[in-house]
Amino acid sequence: SPGAPISPAEPISQAYSLALYMQKNTSALLHTYLQHQGSPFSDPGFSAPELQLSSLPPAAVSFKTWHALDDGERLSHAQGAFLALTQHLQLVGDDQRDLNPGSPILLSQLGAARLRAQGLLGNMAAIMTALGLPIPPEEDTLGVVPFGASAFERKCRGYVVTREYGHWTDRAVRDLALLKAKYPG
Amino acid sequence: MALFSVSKTAFLLAFLSLRTYQSEVLSEPLPWAPESLKVSVNTTSQSLHLQWTVHNLAHHQEFRMVFQIEISRIKTSNVIWVENYTTTVKWNQVLHWSWESKLPLECAKHFIRMRSAVDAAKTPGPRVWSSWSSWEEADVQNSLGQDLLFVFPKDKLVEEGSNVTICYVSKSHQNNISCYLEGVRMQGEQLDPNVSVFNLNHVAFIRETGTNIYCKPGQGDGIKGTVLFVSKVLQEPKDFSCETQDLMTLNCTWDPGSDTGLLKQLSQSYTLFESFSGKKILCKHKSWCLWQVAPESQDMYNFTLTAENYLRKRSVHLLFHLTHRVHPMAPFNVLFKNVNATSATMTWKVHAIGKYYTLLCQVELYGEGKVTQHNVSVKVDGVHLFSGLEPDTEYLAQVRCANGDHFWKWSEWTHQNFTTVEAAPSEAPDVWRNVKIVQGRCVVTLFWKPLSKLQAHGKILFYNIVIEYLDRTSGSEVLSIPAPASGTELPLNQCSSQIRITASNSVGTSPASVLVVSREPGNEEVEEERVKGTEDGFPLSWNPQPRHVTGYLVEWCEQPRDPPCDLQWKNLGPNVTSTVVSSDAFRPGVRYNFRIYGISTERVPCLLARKTGYSQELAPSDNPQVVMTNLTSHSFTLSWKNYSTESQPSFIQGYHVYLKSKAGRCHSGSEKAVLSDDAVCCKYKIDNPEQKTFVVENLQPESFYEFLVTPYTSVGEGPHDAFAKVTTPDEYSPTLIRILLPTVFCILLIMITCYLKSQWMKEKCYPDIPDPYKSSVLSLIKSKENPHLTIMNIKDCVPDSIEVLNKQEGTRKSFTETESTKPTYLYLLPTEKRYSSPGPCICFENFTYNQAASDSASCGHVPAPPKAPPSQLGLLTSPENLLKALEKNYMNSLGEIPAGETSLNYVSQLASPMSGDMSNLPKNPPEPALCSEYKMQMAIPLGLASPPSSGSSSLSSITLLDEGERYH
Repeated sequence: SPGAPISPAEPISQAYSLALYMQKNTSALLHTYLQHQGSPFSDPGFSAPELQLSSLPPAAVSFKTWHALDDGERLSHAQGAFLALTQHLQLVGDDQRDLNPGSPILLSQLGAARLRAQGLLGNMAAIMTALGLPIPPEEDTLGVVPFGASAFERKCRGYVVTREYGHWTDRAVRDLALLKAKYPG
Repeated sequence: MALFSVSKTAFLLAFLSLRTYQSEVLSEPLPWAPESLKVSVNTTSQSLHLQWTVHNLAHHQEFRMVFQIEISRIKTSNVIWVENYTTTVKWNQVLHWSWESKLPLECAKHFIRMRSAVDAAKTPGPRVWSSWSSWEEADVQNSLGQDLLFVFPKDKLVEEGSNVTICYVSKSHQNNISCYLEGVRMQGEQLDPNVSVFNLNHVAFIRETGTNIYCKPGQGDGIKGTVLFVSKVLQEPKDFSCETQDLMTLNCTWDPGSDTGLLKQLSQSYTLFESFSGKKILCKHKSWCLWQVAPESQDMYNFTLTAENYLRKRSVHLLFHLTHRVHPMAPFNVLFKNVNATSATMTWKVHAIGKYYTLLCQVELYGEGKVTQHNVSVKVDGVHLFSGLEPDTEYLAQVRCANGDHFWKWSEWTHQNFTTVEAAPSEAPDVWRNVKIVQGRCVVTLFWKPLSKLQAHGKILFYNIVIEYLDRTSGSEVLSIPAPASGTELPLNQCSSQIRITASNSVGTSPASVLVVSREPGNEEVEEERVKGTEDGFPLSWNPQPRHVTGYLVEWCEQPRDPPCDLQWKNLGPNVTSTVVSSDAFRPGVRYNFRIYGISTERVPCLLARKTGYSQELAPSDNPQVVMTNLTSHSFTLSWKNYSTESQPSFIQGYHVYLKSKAGRCHSGSEKAVLSDDAVCCKYKIDNPEQKTFVVENLQPESFYEFLVTPYTSVGEGPHDAFAKVTTPDEYSPTLIRILLPTVFCILLIMITCYLKSQWMKEKCYPDIPDPYKSSVLSLIKSKENPHLTIMNIKDCVPDSIEVLNKQEGTRKSFTETESTKPTYLYLLPTEKRYSSPGPCICFENFTYNQAASDSASCGHVPAPPKAPPSQLGLLTSPENLLKALEKNYMNSLGEIPAGETSLNYVSQLASPMSGDMSNLPKNPPEPALCSEYKMQMAIPLGLASPPSSGSSSLSSITLLDEGERYH
């Protein structure tokens, strides 16, 4: 397509490095988050996969479906997910500032995760530009936030967001690995 | 049961209709029934809110009415609440009433109805009710949403210890839902098929971020929960108190107790309300608040402190008069003026409180371990005079103040130090002396004790000594000894003198101590008495002096064993005749000597008594060094003259002499004693400590004895350790010795004489054989210079050999191999090649005629030096000795000679070298012609002479010359 840069390898490599770095910290973030929410979240082995947020697309996808996606679709899904994640991480950060005001470690980890998600978004946009793909417009994925959500609901919400952040990061690493193989530097 | 309830309802309805009928009949019909009843639900506060109006109320009409409200749960028949709400009703008024449900309103439907009556409290008679309104339903379950499971109430805030009801609502018809409080499963009761209720009693505070309660269905479909925020109970503020420092500002303080702050609730706030002025302030701090006092406008204050949080309010009250709560600030500017030796003036300032108030100030003075306290009234400036102070002393003064009219609290202390100035010493130094006569001169050593701080009144700089000689011709001497000396030694020009000692500091001089020294040593013949020390010291007593004395003095040495004995003394009054001398320096087992002097009015000391004793006697640790003398077969004498009874750790009462013998019999004068090691011995007792010899008698000759001398004291004997051993001689040996000794002496004398006169003896008995080389004949021969004369030259010799036959050896080696370790043949001439090359030569010399040996024969090396001992030559006269000497010489020159039987054979140089055993003879057989001068040779059997090895020792030839051949 016209105007496309010659080599997308560099933005892919940068995005891949960032995704790998994020991947190292996602489980720590989830662990820190759960430890601050009390039982049952802080119970050992806590997991509630059935908890989902309608505003956040789940990362889980069948391998066949994922493999059948083309680069543009894959990047577009990831782009949409991380856009939603940045907004949700902001929301969870606000919630936790309310619920756990005396936990600066948790708050700083949530803030760092949000900034990295934003960074990855920027890298993905660069890749899409390099590949000549259309960048999807930024949309308000959160929509009308239920501000009246109860404390327990907000704890659950945060759990889903930090969990999905990890899942989406894992998926992004796979996406970018595939792209990296396709566009070697 | 159902039948009963139906009949009951029917009865009630019948009764109500009858009442209605009655009221309709008896008066006008009841017009004020409630209408337009609306019910709203506030789920946050779990309350139902009712609002209604009253029908047909006339304009400006006002009634006091009772509304009876019924609330049912789940179904209308299940009435859970009936309440009569009484209020005044006006025309067109909308009435409100709220009811808080313990059960979350989402958990069940509620039904509400009401009826009204005019409050008939003033008018007697039964109350006439209106008809019931219709049931209004309050149901929030329909608006819950799409989820299948809900837990209520949401984010409830309760106080610790309260009871809470939790419920879940399930829409999935699952009934195996389990609910947990912080991970612990809760047991609930089913309200209806979809709703279960859990009653939590006395909920506890777990954490500020709330307590999680959650439910989850048996399989799948996530968890639902709620957070219960449990607050600590707000406490009443404690110790609420207000005070002012300056009548301008009131500082109110209190103990707030525990913080009730939560995520859902801010910490409690405090407000201060003053009822007289009606002012109210919100306190910025949790435990104190400042209240500005309007100047001179208000004396009384009535404060209410209110603590408040989301759930509760608590108040405390305080009523007081402002001037009764004055807590002044600490005084300042504390200064001292006119500080002298015994007084000082302290001044200070206080912060003024209003115009008309006086302060009461408390002044404390610390010094010399004492505290004095004074109260002073102060307006602005405080002044206090401290008197009766000690000179040169540091004092600490401090001052604090309180409201003098109405005491409330003391201010903080303000401290300041000051030091009084010095004054002249108040007391004369305590002085004592020791007088010695050295080379006819009196030498007095003065000792004095340092003045105590209270006596010195400052730093003592020096001690002044004035010596006044009593004959008034020698004038006086003045000395100054700088402090901190505690004594001095003064040689006096003459003994009779008066010594005055004063101590001086920077301000002045103390009174004088006066001592009088006289040549008379005093009553030195006073007998020494023993004194027994106790734990408290030595109790000393003496007879009162008939003469007038100004006092008594006891002196002693604290370190009697050391040369500077640390002289101590104690002054006592004239009426005292006993004292106890105690000191930490007194040690057990040390003898202390005390002298008691009476001091006359002329200040002359006179020795009254001498005492000696131990603070505690110890058993002797050592026994005397005993010397044994006069040992005979029946007795010996023991003596220990060097043993000092004075320097022992206790008073010596005598000695025990122990004697151990095999016989075990004890003679008279001794007794049997068993020692600690069960040994039995005889014990002799000596009662006199000064008897230091003892004769042990009645002993057996040639017997073994052991003895020990040990002192005994009141606290025991010396150690029984080292017994000395002795064996008595036999009876005759002394006689024998009397004969033997002179005999031995005589022999010795003769031997010494012989030795001293040995030279003379030798010359007399066997004189020296003259040395041919030193003979005067030699010079005569030399002068003739005749080469053919006399002694044979070695070059001219045809060497012969002496064959040494070692019979143990089978092989024989040539002479050239004599350097090998085991020569069989002895090479009689030097081993150097220069000698072997011309052929070694041997000369046999007849010693009998050796005197005539000539120097012309070079082979005649009889290396007997002139200084050879004559005795050696003498010994060589024996043939056997000759051989021995020869062997010895060969051993010296060749290192070794093979062991075994050895004999010498003479081999002529003229014999054939090839003959017989001579096959291994020297390779260079000597030329026969060379020894032309050899006239005749003779073999000698074994009789060989050996030359001494001094000088040219390498030359080992033996020269044996026939006398006839040498003088040809």
